[in-house]
Amino acid sequence: MTSDATSSSQDRTHTGATVAHVHDSPFIRAPEGARTVFLTTVLAVCGPLLGGIVMFGWRASMTAALAIASCVITERLYYRVTRIPALLGRSHSVLTGVLLALTLPAFVPWFVPVVAGAFAIIVGKAVFGGVGHFVWQPALVGRLAVAVLFPALLTVADARFEGRQPVLAQNRLLVGDVREAAYGNDTAPWRGRAAPNRKDAVLLTPPTRILRGLTDRKSPAYSALVQRPADQPDAKPAGLLQMPPMENLFYGARPGGLGETCILLLIVACLYLAYRDYLKWELPLSMFLAAWITVAVAPIYLAGPNDTVRTVWLPILSQEGLAAALTYVNYQTVSGGLALAITLVSVEMTSRPVTAGGQVLLGVGCGVLAMLLQLYTTIPIPCLMAVLAMNTLTPTIDRLWRPRVFGTKYFAFLRGK
Amino acid sequence: MIFRRYGMFTGGIELPDEKRPTIDRAIEVATRPQRLLVPLAPCGGAPATPTVATGDTVSPGQRIAIAKDQTGVDVFAPLAGQVAGIVTVTVPEWGGFVESPAIEFTDLSAPTDLAPSRGEDGGLPERGFNWKDASEDSLLARLAEGQLATHRVRPQPLMTWLSRARDQKCRWSIVNVMDQEPLVSSDHRLLSEFGPEIMEGLAIIARLVGSPNKIVAADHRRTSYYEACGAPAERFGVTQIALPHKYPIGADTILTKVITRRETPPGETPFAVGAAVLDAATCLAVYQWVVHRRHLLARVVTVAGPHTARPGNFWTPFGTPCADLAALTAGPGSGSAAGEPTLIHGGPMAGTVCDARAVVTPATNAVLSLEAARTPLPGPCLRCGWCTDHCPARLNVAALNDAFELSLVDRARLGGALACVECGVCSYICPARLPLTQRVKQLKRRIVALRRASEAPPAIGSDKP
Repeated sequence: MTSDATSSSQDRTHTGATVAHVHDSPFIRAPEGARTVFLTTVLAVCGPLLGGIVMFGWRASMTAALAIASCVITERLYYRVTRIPALLGRSHSVLTGVLLALTLPAFVPWFVPVVAGAFAIIVGKAVFGGVGHFVWQPALVGRLAVAVLFPALLTVADARFEGRQPVLAQNRLLVGDVREAAYGNDTAPWRGRAAPNRKDAVLLTPPTRILRGLTDRKSPAYSALVQRPADQPDAKPAGLLQMPPMENLFYGARPGGLGETCILLLIVACLYLAYRDYLKWELPLSMFLAAWITVAVAPIYLAGPNDTVRTVWLPILSQEGLAAALTYVNYQTVSGGLALAITLVSVEMTSRPVTAGGQVLLGVGCGVLAMLLQLYTTIPIPCLMAVLAMNTLTPTIDRLWRPRVFGTKYFAFLRGK
Repeated sequence: MIFRRYGMFTGGIELPDEKRPTIDRAIEVATRPQRLLVPLAPCGGAPATPTVATGDTVSPGQRIAIAKDQTGVDVFAPLAGQVAGIVTVTVPEWGGFVESPAIEFTDLSAPTDLAPSRGEDGGLPERGFNWKDASEDSLLARLAEGQLATHRVRPQPLMTWLSRARDQKCRWSIVNVMDQEPLVSSDHRLLSEFGPEIMEGLAIIARLVGSPNKIVAADHRRTSYYEACGAPAERFGVTQIALPHKYPIGADTILTKVITRRETPPGETPFAVGAAVLDAATCLAVYQWVVHRRHLLARVVTVAGPHTARPGNFWTPFGTPCADLAALTAGPGSGSAAGEPTLIHGGPMAGTVCDARAVVTPATNAVLSLEAARTPLPGPCLRCGWCTDHCPARLNVAALNDAFELSLVDRARLGGALACVECGVCSYICPARLPLTQRVKQLKRRIVALRRASEAPPAIGSDKP
């Protein structure tokens, strides 16, 4: 049918012109549109964001607000210039902003989220043509940009205690200022921890940094996982004894990005998205299993007597028993950014493959790469970088992995018929 | 009806049913139409040659046109009336309408006698022909004399259909009464009111096809309507199967897969795996002709939709203009400020916008007047993958959409586009509102055209060897 003068406003394109409509079957449509999808996802990811705001105080909400505002405003400005139709609408830029905020720590100066948001929208999304066309998850592009531009600002909260980052004490939650921080004991439980001498926060070592001593080949920091060997008088301490209690990591009482830390809320958000059919369970599960197996297999290095280095392949079968080995593997998988990468970042619609099998391929790649980067390199955000790297392969996976079509044989496409 | 557990298909979707206004109402006889435009090519193909001239008076069931070849069927006058002339109408084809000449009748009689004869209960015409004892050749000859057409989405002469089914040695004869489209309930009403007759028609067809398995597939939520089928089904050896209502289990290839566990290769019909799929109306027409030597000159059409004051199923003589049919039951709300309701031929999922000159043919199972909802502006594909998850043919619809946008027909062929059953699920579910079904249909058309072009023998006199 042709256009007519009585079209409602939603029938107008961005230039204000009415367009001709062709009536096509089906004449009924499912209620969920793209905007609903994005806004529901925003709702889901707001849970971990709120957790981060509670755990990191009002500066976290400032960082998040700046990231979201930067994304929305950059997208509006870019749209005013280029008029790319896929950039119309603000729901996806809000989603990008929230995801970006989840990856940023709370203590960064104001311009870091602003720059990250601008990079996310322009480099990550707009130059590819907007929603649905980008290759790399835009929030990760923004995060990578600031990780390269301001490496020190994102990792060093207090120059006196380099390598330590702040977490609010339990009595200063939500209202405290994370920059008012004092040295804290890494292994103390989070519950019942009070703020030291009129400060709001305690400075803790990121747990991945503690675990790094187990996989540093040149200078291993530990001689064992849990049991310091008795027959070595000059043995170094046991690695896992330096770690905070496991429940700290589940609540989120550890340094990291706003939404990275609270694993409980991340799992809830992921389950909600799965319930809404916005993600398939195959991708998170395969990614987690791949990461878990990688950690269980990849070697750790322990300091032996007389400055020797002992290489232990398959730490899951270590001499210290299965309990210690499982604790090690679980610490590795929960202490970094893996939970955020699995639950909310890798499952983002546009930058993952379409089919379930392709998603398993992507998940396995992401999990293995994330853990290898976390174990053996010093790059700042290993899990997110692994997802970003694997996003590059998504179009290839989409072309390679084809489910069997109704009425054809398996791998019929390989036979060319 | 016994609910036996059968296989299932992947994908599919739960649709809103919305049949409540019509599902319990008995089939009514439509009021006397002002005019009938009886198409001469109801099955497409070559139009039949008229045997009546302008001004002639015809009686119901009189032969008014003779088919030119095997692609058409003879045409019979549905009602008594006067020939007013030859006009051009459109008849539904796959996804659109094609023009066909038609004979216009005016001065029509009241359509009181349209409903088919009952079996033993109605008892009006004598059972003239004992098809069980007759030889197969005489039964075939009788059926060929009837010049029936199948009442499918794309009608074809019944004898053509039957010869293909016999060639393929089909082991299953399946009557598809799933009636899955929202709002539409014509097949359901037919089976609930003419169940014994449909069972007998199926038995006749299955005898001619030579298939040992006679199956009626219906929706498991509506089995209580079909209790009258029980005894005749037992007598004729028909298996009644109740299937879940996940859309599109009623698509022919999917239904065949669920019942026979054989998957139809892409681009083929269920004949390829030895299943002959029919519908209730065809069985009824076969029963009418073979047993009572009467033509079924009308089609049960569901008229429904939000703008309809009197929704229901109606015996509608062939050739009734769809617009007239909708006007019969139009309510006060139609044509108001909300805009003219859109007239849909067929169901809301797989139907088409009714052409202004469209008439009721054997393919018409519903004429719906829906809200004049405009097709929403499509956005960019989000790659959510819902189309791929819900596709009953397990197509990667997102990849096919890419192939469409890049005009890569060969990639679409390798992606299996020909397996598409055109159910409309992908368009229904797409959050970006992309017209995915239409795009895959276009790809199919182009694949078939390319294949024909490559297979066609070189024309005589061309330079090619």
